[in-house]
Amino acid sequence: MDQEVKLAELKAKLKNVIKRSVYVYRVDCGGCNGCEIEIFAAISPVYDPERFGIKVVASPRHADVLLFTGPMTRAMRLPAIRAYKAAPDPKIVVAYGACGCSGGIFHDCYCVWGGADSLFPVDVYIPGCPPTPAATLYGLAMALDLLQQKIKGEQLVETEVTRVTPKYEGVCPDLAKDIEREARRLSGYLHGRRIAAQYLEFVREKDPLAVDRKIKELVKQEKDPRLAEIFLSLHKIYMERVGHNAG
Amino acid sequence: MLKLLKKTLQVGQATVEYPFKPVEVAPGFRGKPVYNFSRCIACGACATACPPNAITMDCDLERGIKSWNINYGRCIFCGRCEEVCPTGAIALSAEFELAAARKEDLYCRAEVQLCKCISCGEYFGPSRELEYVLAILKQARLLESGHEGWEQLLKVCPKCRRRKIAGSGAKALGARARF
Ligand code: SF4
Ligand code: SF4
Ligand code: SF4
Repeated sequence: MDQEVKLAELKAKLKNVIKRSVYVYRVDCGGCNGCEIEIFAAISPVYDPERFGIKVVASPRHADVLLFTGPMTRAMRLPAIRAYKAAPDPKIVVAYGACGCSGGIFHDCYCVWGGADSLFPVDVYIPGCPPTPAATLYGLAMALDLLQQKIKGEQLVETEVTRVTPKYEGVCPDLAKDIEREARRLSGYLHGRRIAAQYLEFVREKDPLAVDRKIKELVKQEKDPRLAEIFLSLHKIYMERVGHNAG
Repeated sequence: MLKLLKKTLQVGQATVEYPFKPVEVAPGFRGKPVYNFSRCIACGACATACPPNAITMDCDLERGIKSWNINYGRCIFCGRCEEVCPTGAIALSAEFELAAARKEDLYCRAEVQLCKCISCGEYFGPSRELEYVLAILKQARLLESGHEGWEQLLKVCPKCRRRKIAGSGAKALGARARF
């Protein structure tokens, strides 16, 4: 216990002292290499962490910060422990990537022990799969107390029953489903959802003739032929239904 | 040396100024999945779709509560939760500054109430999900007549409903056998 308190004190002192020369050593405990690529992207001139004195070194004996990437696999736990022991105290331990934080997508593999915190006391978690270079910089700056933490744990409790309204109010759910499905089929879920929402905005008018006119106008003005085609094929579904219903 | 200086001045600065200035993310960037509690119906589609089980759901039948949990430390930002969510309650944002010193700050937990079966008194489904079903049925105009009956029927748990239907089926069969 005494030793732990002393270590914490030393760590606080370390954070004060190393501001301009931080040596980072990364330990790959069995990841997919995505995280490594992002770390190397982060030390490229575009992000240039050396302007804060952050430098990736090749030996744990020089390290102030240990960056554990990848899930803690059974095969890599001994090398990881050796790297941890080799780094001089006090040191800052960072769990990097979804795998380093909790095992990530590999968390239930037979040979995975979990994140870096299954073996070491972790100071900062940097989530992401992989974290972008900017997220890496942010995490390292946070580990050095240069930046504040932004994310907060949340607890939400329902006290009285909330009414959730359907996504496209005033539109027949069956039609909305077909439109959204076709839009997603043609352009993927992200854009499909946006396009379907835009189209169903028109359908809310209820008057098929007005919808027809507006869509034709929209298609005429649309510069992107792909988008125009998607709108036309959505419109076909709508018109077929309307015609069917009328007949 | 001067030549080099000239060249550098011409080319300009390549290094971004992050973290002193915000950095621009690419369009379509997949960052923190933001959860909108008031739109979630606790259907569990996201928990089923989430590849690394970052989103998990639990039922507490004693307390009558269904809980929704996300672990941002495990999320791989694939966007599948956004893809499958029927109400648009969860969507990926451009937020990437997720680093945390405490593990607890990486969690978000939400609790919704379960509905009590009016027949056997056991908790079975999230109340807001049943409300949502009702709203959808209304919008599809499937509820013109016998509206109250539907509302009552939705508050019966599947087990009791099955028993009821089996009972009425047996009655019908028995009636036919007699004639
Ligand atoms: S967090 Fe993602 S990118 Fe990093 S090692 Fe794990 S799977 Fe690979
Ligand atoms: S983005 Fe993917 S990993 Fe993250 S919570 Fe959604 S489904 Fe799960
Ligand atoms: S899919 Fe959407 S509505 Fe269903 S539980 Fe997940 S967030 Fe809630």
